[in-house]
Amino acid sequence: MPSVAKTQAIISKVYPQIRVSERRGCVRLEGTLDRWEDIVEAGRMAVDRKRWHGVLNDITLKDYEEPPISAPAERDTSLENADVDVLIIGAGVIGCAVARELSKWKLKVLLADKESDVAMHASSRNDGVVHPCIDVKMRSAKMTYGRAGNRMFDGVCKDLGVSFERCGQYVFTDKWWVVAASPIYILKALICKIPNAGYAWGKKLRALEPHVDPKYKVAIKFGSAGIVCPYGLTIAYAENAVANGARLSLNTIVEGMELTGERITRVFTNRGAFRPRVVVNCAGTYSDKVAEMANDRFFTVHPRRGTNLIFDTKERRSNSALGVALSDASKSAHTKGGGVIKTVDGNMLVGPDAHETPDREDVGTYAESIDAVIAKHSKLVPQMKRGQIITYFTGVRAPVYEEDFIVSSGKFTKNIVHAAGIQSPGLTAAPAIALGIERLVLGVLGGKIDKNESFNPKREPIPATRGMDVGERGEYIKKNPDFGEIVCRCEEISKGEIIAALNAPFVVPTVDAVKRRARAGMGRCQGAFCSPNVMKIISETCKIPLDGVTKSGSGSEILCGDIKPAEGKR
Amino acid sequence: MEKRYKVVIIGGGPAGLAAAAECARLNVKNMLIEREPVLGGILKQCIHDGFGIIRFGEKLSGPEYAERYIDMLTAGTDVRLSEFVTGIKKIERGFELTSVSPCGVKITETDTIVLATGCRERTSRQVGITGDFPAGVFTAGTAQYYTNVLGKRVGKKAVILGSGDIGLIMARRLTLEGTEVKAVYEIKPTPSGLNRNIQQCLNDFNIPLILGHTVTRLFGKKRLEAVEVSAVDGRLNPIGRPERVECDTLILSVGLIPENEIAEKLGVELSPATKGALVDQSMMTSVPGVFACGNALHVNDLADYVSESAVTAAAAAAVFDYERPELTDVEYSDNMLYLVPQRLDGKRAAENTIFYFRSRGDISECRLTVTDNGREIFKRSYMALRPPEMERVVLKGAVRGRLKFTLDEKSGGGEK
Ligand SMILES: Cc1cc2nc3c(=O)[nH]c(=O)nc-3n(C[C@H](O)[C@H](O)[C@H](O)COP(=O)(O)OP(=O)(O)OC[C@H]3O[C@@H](n4cnc5c(N)ncnc54)[C@H](O)[C@@H]3O)c2cc1C
Ligand SMILES: Cc1cc2nc3c(=O)[nH]c(=O)nc-3n(C[C@H](O)[C@H](O)[C@H](O)COP(=O)(O)OP(=O)(O)OC[C@H]3O[C@@H](n4cnc5c(N)ncnc54)[C@H](O)[C@@H]3O)c2cc1C
Repeated sequence: MPSVAKTQAIISKVYPQIRVSERRGCVRLEGTLDRWEDIVEAGRMAVDRKRWHGVLNDITLKDYEEPPISAPAERDTSLENADVDVLIIGAGVIGCAVARELSKWKLKVLLADKESDVAMHASSRNDGVVHPCIDVKMRSAKMTYGRAGNRMFDGVCKDLGVSFERCGQYVFTDKWWVVAASPIYILKALICKIPNAGYAWGKKLRALEPHVDPKYKVAIKFGSAGIVCPYGLTIAYAENAVANGARLSLNTIVEGMELTGERITRVFTNRGAFRPRVVVNCAGTYSDKVAEMANDRFFTVHPRRGTNLIFDTKERRSNSALGVALSDASKSAHTKGGGVIKTVDGNMLVGPDAHETPDREDVGTYAESIDAVIAKHSKLVPQMKRGQIITYFTGVRAPVYEEDFIVSSGKFTKNIVHAAGIQSPGLTAAPAIALGIERLVLGVLGGKIDKNESFNPKREPIPATRGMDVGERGEYIKKNPDFGEIVCRCEEISKGEIIAALNAPFVVPTVDAVKRRARAGMGRCQGAFCSPNVMKIISETCKIPLDGVTKSGSGSEILCGDIKPAEGKR
Repeated sequence: MEKRYKVVIIGGGPAGLAAAAECARLNVKNMLIEREPVLGGILKQCIHDGFGIIRFGEKLSGPEYAERYIDMLTAGTDVRLSEFVTGIKKIERGFELTSVSPCGVKITETDTIVLATGCRERTSRQVGITGDFPAGVFTAGTAQYYTNVLGKRVGKKAVILGSGDIGLIMARRLTLEGTEVKAVYEIKPTPSGLNRNIQQCLNDFNIPLILGHTVTRLFGKKRLEAVEVSAVDGRLNPIGRPERVECDTLILSVGLIPENEIAEKLGVELSPATKGALVDQSMMTSVPGVFACGNALHVNDLADYVSESAVTAAAAAAVFDYERPELTDVEYSDNMLYLVPQRLDGKRAAENTIFYFRSRGDISECRLTVTDNGREIFKRSYMALRPPEMERVVLKGAVRGRLKFTLDEKSGGGEK
């Protein structure tokens, strides 16, 4: 087989111990290596999109055992023999958007995620930038869906009641040759129909972004870039899907599948087994594992971790999304450059970095990442103060070796549809990917499917009393005094807003869930003052004992029972 | 529009309460605004005693101390509870305040403002702890609230980071409630809390205090399972092989930060040393008519001094006339961490001028000299000075010139 021999020859030069073979039109690598970076490198070397469906990188890391998938503690039969047309695995932004688009049809949609809430992985751990997609390869799925998704954002966010701001992206440079080469970008923008690309410099640029080091004199501007709250969007998609009849089952892990011929006939979860007609794989860093369960693996995810820092609103030194031209950003080319980014809530987000990791859920943060992110970005914005960091977080991207999105139906199994390899700009592309998956699912189902006549594309957001003027706020409080009781002092969030979050189409009664919906605990004290009160409100509203209120699902209990009864006077 | 006040006090802790009590004594129309449904501020949860020794000559618990002041309030103070100040604006000879409560949005006018908003606690991420972020990580004040106000246990096996007073008091409190406190770790080579607390809260309970160590990483996807503890070098950077300590609870007592969001909205100048406002001897900030006191001004170790600074502020606010001050900076030597007040208003010389300061490091024997325009006006010797223990100095007689505070360390004295 000449193509296997060719790939084997390329890889053997560097990694003689690796065996290359063909498996159902995919190239498969096997063997053991000492360093994870080498495994990733070998996988990259095997990519040949013309020859192969994809790379199956089964090289193992010496003396390393992959940690088991973090699974919910729950085990029951709530889904046993459930009547499901479409099962969506994974409630990240992609899975939730797919659920919402499918809820336009008379279909029984089940959206399942193993975590206690939606958006617990990449979809809440990213930069929240709606990319212009200028640095994406032309004629890639990333470009197709990224660009289309970008255009859809105004409409989608308006319907779903999510804040979105087209603040633009500025890519700075202090190198003349970058300036000289930049017409290529402008030309690419023209060809790819990326609107509002141009230059900014001099006083005007300084007035727009006064905190950027003055040595960066020129910036290429991409006016179509925007910012959005990524978990806000995911939650909104999920709420709208549920309001339109989709079923959401959290703390639900897909553990296996039964296949009959080329079809999935049964899916096993910790809450019972059932027979969906179609399965949609939106499992992020586990999407190749899910594909394997469906006997449809033709790609391999290599997890890539990235850390971001969030600064106090007082320390915001950016009015849009700022970055440095890639040529400056050394070798870490697999982040979209990252940057110094204003968030929709008025904070400043700085990052991310990029590290290959064998752990698909490697969301712990490392001091080196924080140092690296500060070192890199304080070149652009020198005055950023470390002391003003209020939090940091790490997300794991889910690229495949081909470094492109996979939005397709199964290659070997008939009733699976994949949204895999959805790394950056996956958030940007989500609205468009969801439409693509919707078409594929309808295709697999075949026949005539009725429209859901009562579909309502609109979702009411939780009112934010903080931004209201005196009159409007007064009216709100008059109608419901809870809106006048401030619980989170840093972000000025009222009890009414927290209760509203606990009365949404689906309710997640955890402190973190309230934090992500109502912003209580998101400020500079990080919930030190308000978490006891938030817990009390959850306990009262959802009728669960205070001790049962968790940070983020079972196992993350905050309290452990009562103190000793007082003996006399203490 | 509500009626106009002479003084509006924001915050109903020991600072705000003492300010309101002083206004009541002076018969000045004032308003005390507190966002919680009860007065007392942080004292509500401090059920241990040790409050009021200086002010009342008695050992009181936190709530008892607050009660003393609440009893001093008169009808001259409008107390507004569950009301939160959301906006503030300068107007002609005064301020316009917007506040929110379950009764609605109110606009209030006042001649002067006393900021007594207290402080907040530094969090794990503000001290650079990395790793996972599971449940079971509490700031000391929050853990104290769960224990003392809600009557709940926070965990079974705890590690305490930081030897500040709140951390020490929580070590004892948790031990009494049956939580195993494995150790208190302190990054600095010396403890941060008061000596009496180290004796009464740690030594009496055989809780080890491990200096020169800090928590660097957390482990646990859901609830905390262990922390990583590292020794640090002279520049407080982790060195050597870290150790893993199993525990389900981490209590952080790693510093307090004055709350100055309202002050910042008004453009009040802040001091990088105290993180509170820069004030003159009447506790007036750089914005005429705005006063600051208590922990919002600088973090105190005794509630008594908190209240004292509030009395100074309220007394000055009560007679404030929008006459322009004549400010000179007070100088102090480098071995002092900070000195409050930082400025002197020549026009408003008082009979007594009170200063508070902390030394930068541990100093074993030293002498403080204060000069006014070069003339020595005050002298005091100290056997030992430690940064955790705030010192107080009263200058008698009107001081109005260029003040200079110098701490002279006797040669051969302790390390800096
Ligand atoms: C640091 C970082 C920065 C980024 N910045 C940007 C940006 O600025 N702009 C942009 O457009 N994109 C950005 N991205 C990319 C974007 O975040 C992702 O493309 C997007 O969130 C992917 O969404 P998803 O739904 O595919 O994956 P996820 O959100 O990871 O969702 C997958 C879900 O599947 C669930 N799951 C997995 N296996 C199972 C199972 N067996 N059973 C049940 N549930 C399962 C998981 O629990 C998880 O919730 C960034 C990513 C990272 C990591
Ligand atoms: C845990 C702990 C233990 C201590 N132990 C001792 C001890 O043993 N002995 C001792 O003498 N001292 C002790 N202290 C120190 C002393 O009690 C504090 O320094 C003192 O409580 C600070 O008082 P304060 O009034 O400045 O602040 P706080 O007590 O914090 O009060 C500030 C008040 O302002 C309110 N507020 C803030 N912003 C607004 C707004 N925008 N609108 C409305 N209201 C607002 C807050 O709700 C709060 O009630 C302890 C302190 C702590 C935290």
